[in-house]
Amino acid sequence: MSLDRKRLLSAAAIVVGVLLIVLAIVYWVEPAKSLPSFIPGHEAGSNHHHVKHGIAAFLVGLACLVFAWFNSGPERTRTGTTTSS
Amino acid sequence: MPISYFQAAMLGLLQGVSELFPVSSLGHSVILPQLVGWDIHQNDKFFITFLVATHLATAIVLLFFFWRDWVRIVKGLGRSLRDRGIGLDDTDAKLGWLLVVGTIPAGLLGLLLEHKLRSVFASAQSASIFLFVNGLLLYGAELLRRRAPQASEDDDARIAKTVGWRDATLVGTAQALALVPGISRSGVTMGGGLLVGLSHKDAARFAFLLATPIIGAAAVLKLPELAGPDGRGVRGPALVGALCASVTAYLSVRFLMRFFETQTLVPFAVYCLAAGAACAIYFALQ
Repeated sequence: MSLDRKRLLSAAAIVVGVLLIVLAIVYWVEPAKSLPSFIPGHEAGSNHHHVKHGIAAFLVGLACLVFAWFNSGPERTRTGTTTSS
Repeated sequence: MPISYFQAAMLGLLQGVSELFPVSSLGHSVILPQLVGWDIHQNDKFFITFLVATHLATAIVLLFFFWRDWVRIVKGLGRSLRDRGIGLDDTDAKLGWLLVVGTIPAGLLGLLLEHKLRSVFASAQSASIFLFVNGLLLYGAELLRRRAPQASEDDDARIAKTVGWRDATLVGTAQALALVPGISRSGVTMGGGLLVGLSHKDAARFAFLLATPIIGAAAVLKLPELAGPDGRGVRGPALVGALCASVTAYLSVRFLMRFFETQTLVPFAVYCLAAGAACAIYFALQ
């Protein structure tokens, strides 16, 4: 994978990861009626908190951040030595 | 009391065995009460609360049974995060990330689909039919399995070298099938392990390692129900059920790890086909 593509992928993963973790917090804090209408789970008049949706968003967000962490790490060679990217 | 101590003990003993044997614990928990005429249904709140306790007990037993492996795996995960990569010979780290990759899709599907699937496939009749299907899946996995190369390395190293990232994702995702009562989580993961080239013993080991976080997390997530008003009148039986489940879970995992050194999934496939067909016919005639 080229260096530019790797950096782009890492940056995208960080952005998506952070957004998903923010979304998770919104799911945990806000009841279904207060969620923006474009977010899955929005339900007018419902006081239900979508805790499971929040956990799902948090897990995927965390996975994106871990992916970015590894993807932006030093390159590994066959002999096990590392080179900085 | 919605569930007696005797019923709790019986269901606990059954749960401990059927969660780890590839025969579907959820399916058996749905079928048994109907067969013996107990007024217990899968969607009863108290029963779900009761199952949380037995599942938690099973997860704790699995965690302690593979404790040394988990310590190595967690250390490997920490090492790889520190180094920002998985060392070429770091099989503990590779196995750890394979388990993470396999757990995420199953966890997501479980979180999003569990309630819907539970209400759609709640009857003992459908659980019997899916138990039959589980038998077909197990038998199919045996027929289609790749021959596992036997190397002299340790178990976890073999698993880490044989299972790829895509394999782990597929096997992990397939775990979600076990949300349907009658389909076995350990059966699906063992079958998946065989298909990607693991031996029976390694497939069982991978299945049990993969099951621990998902069963534990599902139980912990629902633990507030046991502590809350839904747990009223169920906590005593749930504790008895959990203790019984932990005893049979321990005996089961010990037995299965030895059994799969030499044996295959075929006996469990035959059992599921026979029991599933017999129960489906019985419930249809009722």
